[in-house]
Amino acid sequence: MNSGGMPTQADFHEAISTRSDRWYSACLKITRNPDLAADAVQDALLNAWNKRHQFEQTARLDTWIHRIAINAALNLIRKSKPGMFSAFEADYESDDVTPHQAWEEHELECDLAQALARLTEVERVCFVLKHLEQWRAREIAEELGLNEGQVKQAVHRAVKKLRISMHHMKVENYD
Amino acid sequence: MTENIDELVAAHRAETHKAPAHLVQQWHASIDEAAALERGREAAPRAGWHPVSFLFGMAVTAALALGVGIGYQWDKPKVLDLPPGHTVATENNGVAEPPKAVPVALARGLHYHLRESQQMLVDVNEDTDVTTMVLDIVEQNRLYEAAAENGNAPRLARVLRAFEPILLRLAADDIAPADAAALREQLSFELKVMLTKLARESSDDSQTT
Repeated sequence: MNSGGMPTQADFHEAISTRSDRWYSACLKITRNPDLAADAVQDALLNAWNKRHQFEQTARLDTWIHRIAINAALNLIRKSKPGMFSAFEADYESDDVTPHQAWEEHELECDLAQALARLTEVERVCFVLKHLEQWRAREIAEELGLNEGQVKQAVHRAVKKLRISMHHMKVENYD
Repeated sequence: MTENIDELVAAHRAETHKAPAHLVQQWHASIDEAAALERGREAAPRAGWHPVSFLFGMAVTAALALGVGIGYQWDKPKVLDLPPGHTVATENNGVAEPPKAVPVALARGLHYHLRESQQMLVDVNEDTDVTTMVLDIVEQNRLYEAAAENGNAPRLARVLRAFEPILLRLAADDIAPADAAALREQLSFELKVMLTKLARESSDDSQTT
């Protein structure tokens, strides 16, 4: 990237060429919808371009766009499913599944992507943001309009469900 | 538990979905378009701000607005005679009648604008600042488009609006000289067609009145 100025058109092209797979992939993990993921990256790029004078020289352009893309993806699922993150209580009750039931439900699952798809929206988004995007619980809570405790619970439940899936897969592999 | 989370995270991090090539191409193009638009916006005030031409533009706009207003009222004198609450639409069984012709003042101004634009495109040479020239045309075009819209000539407004993307494409930095020449030729042809149509309409009008 050019030194001492805001990112140039060439910097953006370079970032797209080298990192757009990661942005798209991250958005896809959040939205689980290729069209929404594509729109999120598109929105993020235009947003980043229009606000490039706000870009801090100490940061990396691709990381900055990545963060904007995640926010755009969250906005898009919020728009496509209004009230999704506010319906946390109802979502929490769905955790009453026993490990045995979960085991049975996951019988046909063969990889982690499918296991991730089995999580509720809130669990998946919280898990992706916390563990894959390495956001702090406080940041996730602020972005999703939840409190930190709810975020931690969602992540905990996500991990629990994924562990069951993983265990199941391991058993299958041994067979 | 920690080990499991690490395994999960590692597995998910490794899983990257490749963005389809057409999307990547589209993202590159969107940055180019945003940059071209921005250059256009920056160039416009530099090229366009001349007090005399600004005043002239204001005068033309005011005259157009007045002409459009008069033309509109002239075209539909019945509206003034209708009792309150009664509209033309109800007189025509709920169907509003479209305007018969482009108001005279608008047509005259538009004719001048199209002829000038066409000439400018024909006169382009290597010394011409094409970006500035195109943005001038776009600016004028928008004035006439707004006048057409206000003058109840939506079809004309739509035609004028359709010129804009072609003009902006011509102002882009990345356009190849051959493509630019072809685009200028196409634009010049389209403008000529429109001029002919306008001339025909106004002569039809003068014959009927």
